[in-house]
Amino acid sequence: MRRTLAIGACAVSFAFGSAARAAQDVDAQDLANLTIEQLAQIEVRSASKTEEPLSSAPTALYVITNTDIADSGATSLPEALRLAPNLQVQRIDASQYAISSRGFNGLEAGNKVLAQIDGRTIYTPLASSVFWNLHSPLLEDIRQIEVISGPGGTLYGPNAVNGVINITTKDAEDTLGGLVRVTAGSLERTAGLRYGFPVGGSGAMRVYADWHDNEGFRAAPGRPEVDDDYRGWQAGFRSDFGSEADHLTFQGDLFHADADTLPGDNAKGGNILARWSRALSPSSSFQLQAYYDDFRREFTDVVDSVKTFDGQGQVNLVSGRHHIVAGGGIRTTRDLFINNLNIFELVPDSRRLWVYNFFAQDRFSITPKLDIIAGSKVEKSTFVGWQLLPNLRIAWQPNRGQLVWAAVSRAVRTPSRIDRQLEAPGILAPASNFTSEKLVALEAGYRGQPSRSTALSISGFVNLYDDIRTTETTNGGLPFQLMNGQKGTSYGIEAWATMQVTPVWRLWLGGTTLWKDFHLKPGHLDLIPFNSLGSDPKWQLTARSEFDLAPRLQLNLQGRAVGKVDQAPQLGSYVELGGRLAYRLTDRLELYLAGENLLHRRHQESNNGAAQLPERSLLAGTRVTF
Amino acid sequence: MQWDRHLLAALAGTAVLAGSMPVAAAVTEAEVKAAFLPRFARYVTWPPSAAPSGSNPYMLCVIGADPFGGDVQSAARTQSVDGRKIVVRHLDSAAGADDCHIAFLSGSRGQSVGQMLAALRGKPVLTVTDARNGGPRGIIHFSILDGRVRFSIDEAEASSDGLAISSRLLALAISVTQR
Repeated sequence: MRRTLAIGACAVSFAFGSAARAAQDVDAQDLANLTIEQLAQIEVRSASKTEEPLSSAPTALYVITNTDIADSGATSLPEALRLAPNLQVQRIDASQYAISSRGFNGLEAGNKVLAQIDGRTIYTPLASSVFWNLHSPLLEDIRQIEVISGPGGTLYGPNAVNGVINITTKDAEDTLGGLVRVTAGSLERTAGLRYGFPVGGSGAMRVYADWHDNEGFRAAPGRPEVDDDYRGWQAGFRSDFGSEADHLTFQGDLFHADADTLPGDNAKGGNILARWSRALSPSSSFQLQAYYDDFRREFTDVVDSVKTFDGQGQVNLVSGRHHIVAGGGIRTTRDLFINNLNIFELVPDSRRLWVYNFFAQDRFSITPKLDIIAGSKVEKSTFVGWQLLPNLRIAWQPNRGQLVWAAVSRAVRTPSRIDRQLEAPGILAPASNFTSEKLVALEAGYRGQPSRSTALSISGFVNLYDDIRTTETTNGGLPFQLMNGQKGTSYGIEAWATMQVTPVWRLWLGGTTLWKDFHLKPGHLDLIPFNSLGSDPKWQLTARSEFDLAPRLQLNLQGRAVGKVDQAPQLGSYVELGGRLAYRLTDRLELYLAGENLLHRRHQESNNGAAQLPERSLLAGTRVTF
Repeated sequence: MQWDRHLLAALAGTAVLAGSMPVAAAVTEAEVKAAFLPRFARYVTWPPSAAPSGSNPYMLCVIGADPFGGDVQSAARTQSVDGRKIVVRHLDSAAGADDCHIAFLSGSRGQSVGQMLAALRGKPVLTVTDARNGGPRGIIHFSILDGRVRFSIDEAEASSDGLAISSRLLALAISVTQR
């Protein structure tokens, strides 16, 4: 009866446009009337940038925290991403990785993930994939990594088809002081240095540098030995000014990396970014961001360079039971791709591309427990016209700490330069009709805390793909041409749990399954069958244990079991284990031993033709703060 | 004490989990912290030498960068303790903070939070710090637990500074360092 009344009251107040709110859902003005006990019970929006409704969106979301990374012993960004149970990480050689969620993994096939660092997109317009070896932010300064499997929803930019990897670094205010990290081991040496200091009354800045030197791996049996030794550095800064209500961020990075594959192979680049967010009132705010990014890779007689300018804006508005987010972005790239290795080339070899996208979303509270999120992106790129990418989500919170959600969304991968303009005289004709690969994703999930010490997430998905890339003949013969000749379905389940087993023992468990059922559309064929569907294991299990052996001694173990890859050339399943034993000598000095791939001297993670074998690796390290 | 630390670590662990829980919260961390600050006056007893005399107000000082915008002022305006108003003052350093009753310490260019704490040690000032500003802890230290703004209380330090903290406030603390 009481419930009926409350809903009735909500409906009435909604009709009159005033704000009816549940006890926890208080407005800033209401704070004055609360007792101190009630204040302590109010759930707050995090003061950091993830206050964007992204994190509260009903999606299959996993968050890797700064502590998770520090405790794991990971020495590179891709290795840290192994902490997310909903990502599949394939190490191809010492420097290259393929990372995806919900399938389509591989160096070439992995083109359906949006990865960004502090709002800067890092997938390349060349092939819509990410060169993970070009990004080595100081891991200690990463605030968190949000990993969403599935389309990211309305608010993320282009290419969020199979997943989103959203890396955010800490506010400069949170990195005051110095930090030094040094690791040395059989396969890898790293060093990191950061110093943060206050600027003016309400600002702070940090500068950092990170260096790594990796030994190469051996080739898989029968595969060519590739000299994949790899070393490089990245350095940069981030400065933050102002309060939460009016916040300004400037940041930038420079990097240089040498690979030994051929003499002179290297990659270098840099970026600079500015972001301004401002609260206009307690219920409205906006954010503006712009960045410039420039990198150039020279490898095996290929030159690949991209200059990117990106600007975006976003407005958040809370009005009554509506939470509205709207915005847009524009990105332009000028690329250059010169291939002296073989006859495949991009025509023209340099081109400016544009991507525009606009979005609007309303999160509407039907009742205090039931929200509907409806929104759409519209997106246009140089190669394809305006595309509508709507999504509809429903979020039901039967009680605090439990969420049941379901979503249907449409996402597309717009054609990359390679899709459209790769050609080889007489062998491959440019595919001027190549259109977007399309996805309609149906998802549902549960996320909650069944008990105070356990957090659980389970989600299932059915992905309906169309217009997936095929390599076909023209008029029954040469030249070949890329076409959108495949369609199909993938489906799977993802689940993970975190348990505080005892006060000193924490346990993480995760598992994913993936089935794929694809076929050629009538009148189409694929000369490299299923090549663009990726090399995906059918399942993956991850487990992580963190045990405080003594107040200053911590043992961390993380294991993974990865199912076999059926896509030819087949690849067997494998199990691997990593870990870290850390002793905190003082509050400012930590010593540790860490290892990766402890179970086997060598194992294979990728069936790529040039795959090398990741090796057992041991290292000793120290972190000092001052 | 050891056990206490493990428990805290455990609680912090669940807070991290809760942090990734989806909620549509309408208020920010800063707004709630700002709302707490003037309320502390009600649950703390200052030594007679430091308590406001006559009809003088309580002084709530924000020392260093103000992370709250105007939120503390508006929160202070809504509160009074035994008919006394609460007045907000901004200071650049702990020098001149002797007549503050409550001092929120946030680092400035000239003085770190740790230095401010050192300067105020032994004085009857309720020092408040924030886990977001790093390690140094005042008598009250804000942190986020389970997606909510909570705090720990150093009752030992309060008592050596001549402050008495009511059991109602102590009951809300996520940990209390005993006298």
